[in-house]
Amino acid sequence: MNKKSTKISSSNKNYSHLELVNLGKIFFKEKKFLDFRSKGIKGGFEAIKDINLKIEKNKFVSIIGPSGCGKSTLLNLIAGLQAPTSGNIIIEGKAIKGPGPDRGVIFQNYALMPWLTTIQNIEFALNTVFPAKTKADVKERARKYLSMVGLEKASNKFPKELSGGMKQRVAIARALSINPNMLLMDEPFGALDALTRSYLQDELLSIWRKNKVTVVLITHSIEEALLLSDKIVLMSSGPSAIISEEISVDLERPRDRQKIEQDPNYLKIKLRLEKHLLRETRAVEEVT
Amino acid sequence: MNKAISKRLTFAVAILSLLIFIILWQVIAQQGLLVKNFPGSFKTIGSLIWWVSDPFFDNGPNDLGIGTNLLISLRRVLIGYSLAVLVAIPLGVLMGMSKLAQSSLNPYVQLLKPVSPLAWLPVGLFVFRNSEITGIFVIFITSIWPTLINTAFGVASINPDYLRVSKSLGASKSITIRRVILPAIMPNILAGMRISMGTAWLVIVAAEMLLGTGIGYFIWNEWNNLSLENIFVAIIIIGFTGFILDQFFGFLQDKFDYSI
Repeated sequence: MNKKSTKISSSNKNYSHLELVNLGKIFFKEKKFLDFRSKGIKGGFEAIKDINLKIEKNKFVSIIGPSGCGKSTLLNLIAGLQAPTSGNIIIEGKAIKGPGPDRGVIFQNYALMPWLTTIQNIEFALNTVFPAKTKADVKERARKYLSMVGLEKASNKFPKELSGGMKQRVAIARALSINPNMLLMDEPFGALDALTRSYLQDELLSIWRKNKVTVVLITHSIEEALLLSDKIVLMSSGPSAIISEEISVDLERPRDRQKIEQDPNYLKIKLRLEKHLLRETRAVEEVT
Repeated sequence: MNKAISKRLTFAVAILSLLIFIILWQVIAQQGLLVKNFPGSFKTIGSLIWWVSDPFFDNGPNDLGIGTNLLISLRRVLIGYSLAVLVAIPLGVLMGMSKLAQSSLNPYVQLLKPVSPLAWLPVGLFVFRNSEITGIFVIFITSIWPTLINTAFGVASINPDYLRVSKSLGASKSITIRRVILPAIMPNILAGMRISMGTAWLVIVAAEMLLGTGIGYFIWNEWNNLSLENIFVAIIIIGFTGFILDQFFGFLQDKFDYSI
């Protein structure tokens, strides 16, 4: 493993953008605020263990697994929002120490600040990441990314005035505005209706094609993973979830959501994924 | 039903109920059904008009206009309350953010919060030897707890998504506090400030009975004059002022209501 990672840092075009080495995370329960009665439990909850994964630059990778398997934990670790209990996260040859503007994060619940307008939400990100930029610069850049997701007209609206799909588009614009080379998405379309979801999936694909970014997408939708990804990473059921399988999706791009469903290769992978998810979900449901 | 008509009807019902109340009060008082010499509503309204038509006279500390007394009370409340808010918000943010601050301060908060602030009145008099400062001090103690606890609770229960966004952008602590935490907990702060103001307004009346001047002292003074109708006048004025103060915070809370 170590030998390989040193080789990777050479000027090879397809070197690993992201590498996870023996990654593990254990949660220790904390006492709640102003609560004298609750006691912290001894020991901890092991969410994931021994995760090893390599993701090449500018690839689209989906992580799929039964609910509660630690997918989001894995994404939070990569984003640097939580520190791993063991193992390393290596980005472009260097172990990360925390979050950074090289990674844009998109959350399931959009995570827009409700007291800021759409454009102010993007400006907040820009001001934080580029404190030296002038006000006019920031405004112009925020506008540019808003219009990239087709929301220039909603720039002075507050999040509560927007639909779920529009909110997520703002969140995507915010994540991309800081010009990251990796996009981390935690079930970004999970809360949207089917039509909006397809629309945003297409939108995301075209954005991914235009902006050179590596995408790590957490999802529980097999169809979504198949439509979007170059590689699908399957996780086992938690606790102590591991990566059970990595599947390359060698379907031609651009993929058409209607045609792709007749592709025998697509059906083969889909069946395999369904079997796996069913098995792992059964393991979860029958234990509890 | 039509909205305008419904509004007018509500108003009419309120007026009608007020009229019935005034008449019943007058009848009960006139017939001596409660106690002898209980002032009726007509007498009270007469007093109210008398006090309100010339509210700001000053014939020495025992004979002040009701407006003058009201302003004295309001001044004490506003000074003590503002100082309390200035302390409570930063302290609350600190308690909400830091486990150390929380565990070191929480015992005092929990112990002192249930104590009637009036218990601090002798302490204030002993330390400050000044009734004006003591009044402000009592209001300070009164106002601090609800705002402090609400602020700390707001920080502790802030939507973790906002903090994650801020963290993922690599925001400094100062930016996170100023641009994320404070705006996010504005509803909590305002709710705390509203309760603080309500309690402060309750406590000032009691405190002033022992301090001299102010609307509370006015009540005590009128009790010494055995002028119950003037006490009713004060009750009406205190209630009305408290209502206005509360509505002001209600208005602010609506402004900072982020919910969908």
